[in-house]
Amino acid sequence: MPKRLTVVVSQGQSNNPAKRKLEEDIVAALLFEPGIEVTIVPHLYDLKNDGPGMLGLQAITTDFVVLSWLYERATRWTLDRNNIRGKAGTSLLVHESDEDEDDLLDEPEDSDKLRVLDSRPIPNRMIYCVDLRVSNKLEDYVDEVKRIHREISTQVVELGGLGGSPSPTPQQLARVAIPTNDTALKEGGELEKPIDIIEPLRIEEDAKRRWYPVIDYSRCTNCMECIDFCLFGVYGVDGVETILVEMPDNCRKGCPACSRVCPENAIIFPQHKTPTIAGSDEVAGGGLKIDLSQLFGKPKEDDKSIDTAVRERDEQLLLAGREAVGTNVGVPKRQADNDDREKDELDNLIDAVDELDI
Amino acid sequence: MSDSLVFMMGKFEAKFPTDRQYTKNHCWAIPSGNGYQFGFTAYAVRLLQDVYFLEWQVDEGATIAEGQEIGFIESSKAESELYPPIPGVLSRLNPELMNDPSRINVDMYGEGWLYEIEGSGEKLLDPEQYIEHLASVWEITQRTIKGQLNE
Repeated sequence: MPKRLTVVVSQGQSNNPAKRKLEEDIVAALLFEPGIEVTIVPHLYDLKNDGPGMLGLQAITTDFVVLSWLYERATRWTLDRNNIRGKAGTSLLVHESDEDEDDLLDEPEDSDKLRVLDSRPIPNRMIYCVDLRVSNKLEDYVDEVKRIHREISTQVVELGGLGGSPSPTPQQLARVAIPTNDTALKEGGELEKPIDIIEPLRIEEDAKRRWYPVIDYSRCTNCMECIDFCLFGVYGVDGVETILVEMPDNCRKGCPACSRVCPENAIIFPQHKTPTIAGSDEVAGGGLKIDLSQLFGKPKEDDKSIDTAVRERDEQLLLAGREAVGTNVGVPKRQADNDDREKDELDNLIDAVDELDI
Repeated sequence: MSDSLVFMMGKFEAKFPTDRQYTKNHCWAIPSGNGYQFGFTAYAVRLLQDVYFLEWQVDEGATIAEGQEIGFIESSKAESELYPPIPGVLSRLNPELMNDPSRINVDMYGEGWLYEIEGSGEKLLDPEQYIEHLASVWEITQRTIKGQLNE
């Protein structure tokens, strides 16, 4: 018996007709699949934590697939920050990437760093995230959802059955034994019930566009560089001193500076134009080649991403009517050791001025 | 070939013959004339994979400085500007590579050599030192591969 699977379609932000059509075609194609329930929500990233969209998603207890116009990681960690968690299912419908780099990247070295996720329990259910930008073909998505449905249905039932599908009720068993057959063709060949009464669950929410960071806790080491760097009070810590995006709507629209200072690249801005900041896992942005110039001896420039982050932060401070701070505040310690040259006369002069009590 | 040392790039065994010296920018070096002959190490070649295109921006006889851009390479996986491992006079470019840069893949420690530079070898590394250097840059290398430098 197939396990129940919920398919969530997260709509695009715009009313782009091509996008809307793909979404609706997917919904229509999956609606009649036995064991599959379809839910439609506005753009996942824009949903409020306590709005009907997130509440609807929080109510899903089964395995589920989310189809959204976001990179997989952006989807997964947007759900995570809304307490919607599960084991990461592996979708086979992904952006093209260099699979054969896996043997280079899959090394144990990373395991010596403790990630926030390592100390968190994960509910025993699967969540699959699929990016609707991977393909514009309806069949690709329908086939992938069906494949996932088969995959979860053939999984060995877990001992204890935590989060698994409940066993059939006596009523259900009785129905299997004596089918009522009420959707069968009548003798005249007409359907007794019109099939269009099957409707997906549509959750409406007045979702305005938002902009805030999403933390990938499978990368985050809780180093706190983001909270030191951001001067807009976006970040906070929870009861066990774990970093979190506490005030997402304090974030300055368009500013991805904290993601640039994050040493683990754990901060995602799903709407940023740079794929790696938006949560892409593609190798060098997919299709683009890796630039190895640094490895082959390109003279070191200043840490470009930190410089960019400082500039972006200053721009936002000025826009907010505050003063620019440059590199004086919250710049990662990684740079601190760059500056261990001996003091020259100018430094001494500045130190002397600093000491004056004016 | 003589003995070699191994550095594990994930599951890939990169091998480095012990009969020569190495440079931080992933070249091997063997003495030749008043200087050295250089070529890519297994580490560099594994990152590049199939070399499609190689071009030099300097001619034989040119004096080249540290950090000067001297060429460009494109492969199936990567592209890179090229910089000399040591400053000096560029005495020879491997003529065979001009027509067929894939020789770098076929015989990186022999026929696939890149160029010869007349200059001092004081900054060259022993094989052991090179392996240590690889260990120290492996993390940044991986981040480069993953395209996650967030620049």
